[in-house]
Amino acid sequence: MDTTGAGALVKALEDVGCEVIFGMPGGAILPAYDPLLDSVKIRHVLVRHEQGAGHAAQGYAQATGRVGVCMATSGPGATNLVTPLADAYMDSVPVVAVTGQVARSVIGTDAFQEADIRSITLPITKHSFQVTDPADIPAVIAEAFALAASGRPGPVLVDLPKDVQAAPVTYTPAPPADRRRPAVSPVQVRKAAQLIATARRPVFYVGGGVIRSGAARALFQLATRTGIPVVTTLMARGAFPDSHPQHLGMPGMHGTVPAVAALQRSDLLIALGTRFDDRVTGSLPHFAPDAAVVHADIDPAEISKNRRADVPIVGDCRDVIAALNAVVTATADLTSWWEYLNGLRTSFPLGYDWPADGALAPQHVIERLSTIAGPEAIYTSGVGQHQMWAAQYVKYERPASFINSGGLGTMGFAVPAAMGAQVGAPDRVVWAIDGDGCFQMTNQELTTCAIEGIPIKVAIINNGNLGMVRQWQNLFYGGRYSHTRLNTHNRLPDFVKLADAMGCAGLRCSDRSEVDAVITEAMAVRDRPVVVDFVVGQDAQVWPMVAAGTGNDEIMAARGIRPLFDEEDE
Amino acid sequence: MTTHSLSMSLRNEQGGLARVVVLFSSRGVGVERLSLRPAGPGGLFLLDVEVALPPGRSPAQLVEQLRRLVDVREVRHTDEELELGA
Repeated sequence: MDTTGAGALVKALEDVGCEVIFGMPGGAILPAYDPLLDSVKIRHVLVRHEQGAGHAAQGYAQATGRVGVCMATSGPGATNLVTPLADAYMDSVPVVAVTGQVARSVIGTDAFQEADIRSITLPITKHSFQVTDPADIPAVIAEAFALAASGRPGPVLVDLPKDVQAAPVTYTPAPPADRRRPAVSPVQVRKAAQLIATARRPVFYVGGGVIRSGAARALFQLATRTGIPVVTTLMARGAFPDSHPQHLGMPGMHGTVPAVAALQRSDLLIALGTRFDDRVTGSLPHFAPDAAVVHADIDPAEISKNRRADVPIVGDCRDVIAALNAVVTATADLTSWWEYLNGLRTSFPLGYDWPADGALAPQHVIERLSTIAGPEAIYTSGVGQHQMWAAQYVKYERPASFINSGGLGTMGFAVPAAMGAQVGAPDRVVWAIDGDGCFQMTNQELTTCAIEGIPIKVAIINNGNLGMVRQWQNLFYGGRYSHTRLNTHNRLPDFVKLADAMGCAGLRCSDRSEVDAVITEAMAVRDRPVVVDFVVGQDAQVWPMVAAGTGNDEIMAARGIRPLFDEEDE
Repeated sequence: MTTHSLSMSLRNEQGGLARVVVLFSSRGVGVERLSLRPAGPGGLFLLDVEVALPPGRSPAQLVEQLRRLVDVREVRHTDEELELGA
């Protein structure tokens, strides 16, 4: 087939199964946009800012398990993708970014809208290509997709100089990609099974890799067969049903007391697709001091990075857990372990106080949202207090139902990620649980949603402040609230009017008695996006909390209450 | 700081060397000596490098991080006191 580089690009994207591109055209990517107009297989969603395109590709990828694609022009278009690429790198999200570049003849001359995006993104991509021969385009696109989706997933950049897009070329399909996964060592699996058989206080420490690899069902089988407690990290919420009695919740800085205690008091961590992030471990020397560690991960560079593994297992979680299921037969008597953990569960359940001034409790809003929208919905969040409450108070029952920015902690993630998730899962209700600070960073994509028929729902947990920063200022800076007040309680902006201006339904709720009715009203809006401004109290704090840099034993169930620390003192 | 010698086979088109060097810089690894030369067919290069690791960082982990790079075809420790795979 005789075509151009641009035609080859579109054909190659069709051939690898790309069904949607989130992007924005500009000078250096113009040739690629011309054949895109004629593609019947690829939908293009015209975003309002390239960052939105990148996060939408992430949301799409996480909702569907497929590779998300974003496209931008050279220079500022490409640099606006840097944050989503860094985010996708940290959270192992398969994304391919296609960027225009200035013509080969002027690369390196500081040409108009020239930025060396390949170099800029070196440390935040799995790999990046700059195509210099149009004949290479099909193979590069095929390799980019294979790289993004295989092994530990992640972002890949393909940079296309404008003259390469315009050059005539004959399209030759790329050979199918190699989809083999690394073999799991049966020796290591047997060693792990031996430890599991004798441990008195084992715990499954489940990370996002279990979701990425589609291993939730296998995990359910392994966990229920063994009766071992399960904790799911921020990236793994939904990998094991919240309703299951073996699930102790989320560990980490804002984890539940029993989940944190399960790690701290454990004699065997069975870590699956997780990377011992500092937000989970707290101070490393004080983390799970008595535990042996089985660590399974597809990325050998993560094993023994922060905590030495006694039994390292390199492999895809699907394969590792299947192998464990085949050999794990017995466990020790876990009765006293469960008695201890259930005691903590009873004494220190997740909970919150209603603000004394009669303001709406943000946790209540999220609890009701979870109940009314249910576990079949997809929830996204930004970063901050609302994100932690979304992790704590939404009940997740299935994988890929919570999409958030864990590793990079990108404010503004929720709205564009929800847009991408809704495109990938058009039959599901998608709720973006957002903060008033986060929302103001990326809400322009609501216009995109309104125009493109992407009916996401946004719950702004509007506490008038950069809430998590304010919480730290309250706890660690003597209550000196330096530059955290956003004035959103003074309706600057007025989110209802803003929603209306962007073609969305806008609702507001500031009273407990109205919460259910407003959520139900929002659920009934199906023909356009809907934004609910939940005006909540500014003083609510996220508890429990392990203060940064301290050991997990110092977890505070609430201010001044240290259940594990006190117990040791006595 | 501990010093270690690594030797890798590198595809050095499109900034392969830059990717290795940026990895060192991102991970807080110092470069004390570096030499690059063409090696064999297929556009492969041999990169010998002496690196300084911050305390607590293992060379085995650095090797795994280098292996993640698509352009790095092979990495070897060349100093003898290293405990590979420990």
